[in-house]
Amino acid sequence: MSDETMPIEDYLAQGGLLTSPDNVPPRYRGELLRLMASFVDSELAGSAGFADVINDAPGIKERIAAARIVLEKADHAGRVLEIMGDFGADTARYAVHHPWSARLPRDADIGAERRGGDMRLSVLHYPLEGWIDAVVMNVLMGKAVVIQLGELARISYQPLAEVLRSILPRETRHAELGIEGLKRIAETEEGRRAAREALAYWRPRVAASFGLSGSTRYHMLARLGLRHTPNEALLAEWQKAIDAELAALNLN
Amino acid sequence: MARFHPLQVTEVRRETRDAVVVTLAPREEDRAAFDFTQGQYLTFRRIFDGEELRRSYSICAGKDEGVLRVGIKRVDGGCFSTWANEELERGEVLEAMPPMGGFFTPIEPDVAKHYLGFAGGSGITPVLSIIKTTLAREPRSQFTLVYANRHVSSIMFREELEDLKNLYLGRFAALHVLESEAQDIDLFTGRVDVEKCEALFRSWIDLKSVDTVFICGPEPMMLAIAAALRAHGLRDEQIKFELFASSQPGRARRKVASAASADRQSSCEATVTLDGATRNFSFPKQGQSLLEAALENRMDAPYACKAGVCSTCRAKVVEGEVEMEINHALEDYEVEQGYVLTCQCYPLSDRIVVSYDQ
Repeated sequence: MSDETMPIEDYLAQGGLLTSPDNVPPRYRGELLRLMASFVDSELAGSAGFADVINDAPGIKERIAAARIVLEKADHAGRVLEIMGDFGADTARYAVHHPWSARLPRDADIGAERRGGDMRLSVLHYPLEGWIDAVVMNVLMGKAVVIQLGELARISYQPLAEVLRSILPRETRHAELGIEGLKRIAETEEGRRAAREALAYWRPRVAASFGLSGSTRYHMLARLGLRHTPNEALLAEWQKAIDAELAALNLN
Repeated sequence: MARFHPLQVTEVRRETRDAVVVTLAPREEDRAAFDFTQGQYLTFRRIFDGEELRRSYSICAGKDEGVLRVGIKRVDGGCFSTWANEELERGEVLEAMPPMGGFFTPIEPDVAKHYLGFAGGSGITPVLSIIKTTLAREPRSQFTLVYANRHVSSIMFREELEDLKNLYLGRFAALHVLESEAQDIDLFTGRVDVEKCEALFRSWIDLKSVDTVFICGPEPMMLAIAAALRAHGLRDEQIKFELFASSQPGRARRKVASAASADRQSSCEATVTLDGATRNFSFPKQGQSLLEAALENRMDAPYACKAGVCSTCRAKVVEGEVEMEINHALEDYEVEQGYVLTCQCYPLSDRIVVSYDQ
């Protein structure tokens, strides 16, 4: 009993959890680090992008909401980066190795492609243009983050699952702050028009961040316990949630 | 970045026929770095036959014992554990990284919680640290331990657990389940599998009163226990796993051939440009990545994950041919342009020219 073991691949396929860098197989390590790097880079890029928006805020409350998002997303990046550090990543260097506020031109079309030296989700390469644009992006992306985080909070690497579970309520709050902001914007006809324009720009770009449907990669990740729900199912969940939110605000 | 520090061995105590308990003392300046949390582990490194081996062992001491102590059970064919069991002596110096791991819940002195622990064999090591610390620092909490072993003689920390029962009368219960030894109560004989858990939950353990469960043991046992717990409605947040770090074989590294003794074609002349400065060095074609060679030649090459993941170590091959072992970060078009992850890069040609600046 005490020393009987089993192949780690079988253990993972049966829902087992891994707990330290020492017991992860090489492939698992690579995929896990990739997931974490993508999360860290996306949070850092998201935080950096929102930093400029603070000064576009139309009031104190909105200014605080934007500042809070900037602060907490950076904190979330730091918490996951710490786990990357357990795997040997140079965390201090990592945190500054890329200009996180860098953006492509607004009309660049990169699909789901990652760009440059970081792993941020493609949607985070597009620049925000003013307050309404930022709020709309935050509503769409906020909801996507909550759904994607909910998925990743079940990940088979226990230390990361624990951190993501602690992050989830705050990311949920960020999405709610977006909805509150959008509500105020949608009070006027002019606001609704600008919001619809921003929605048309951001919705397909955020949708692309869910990845390809029928992804072959997904099956490999699922076997390792790194994923549990396919991209297309998460995307459908997001589309449904967004449709409901927008209908409530008369923005669909 | 985690670094290794020397730890002096102050005691090696034989615990069972194939397990020792090793007490360690950090240097004065490293004391703070080794101020562990209950349930954490230490990663040691040692050179065996010219090759560095790293092994992790859990701390078995409680926070209030004032010592650093690990349990090392001999694993068949395990280089480090056999050495520790057969040759390690008091006075020797081991190298270890500061404590790591998240196999614990925060201590809250005012709470009255019921913790349940499952340990298989040497999986008792971190659980013992948790039991001692929790009972001492949460005076109203209680702990129930289910401890699986093959025989009575293979039970690690048997006496210490008895002492704890007497010290914390009514707050600590230990149930020994022995695989190949009959006991007075049938329930305590056999394997800890789903059925055994069900039986324990029916008659001995009131799961409804349990706040947090700690499980450390071999994979099949952990899966069975987790399945039984989830079937009874325990949430993932309530279940803390710790998988034996040492149950998985160490990663084999390709042997490093010395560039000087190898023939001409087994090494590569590299010209590497970084931050505007260019350096030349020669390194073996096998066993060492381009990144490692650059670092060894005191170039401040950028890197983060060293796993072909984060793309921090990206560079462009301007001349020559290389092979990338793993690429999780670069897109096809980047590879076509000559970009490589230097942490995963091994030269194929006798000469390469690489730039980190492009």
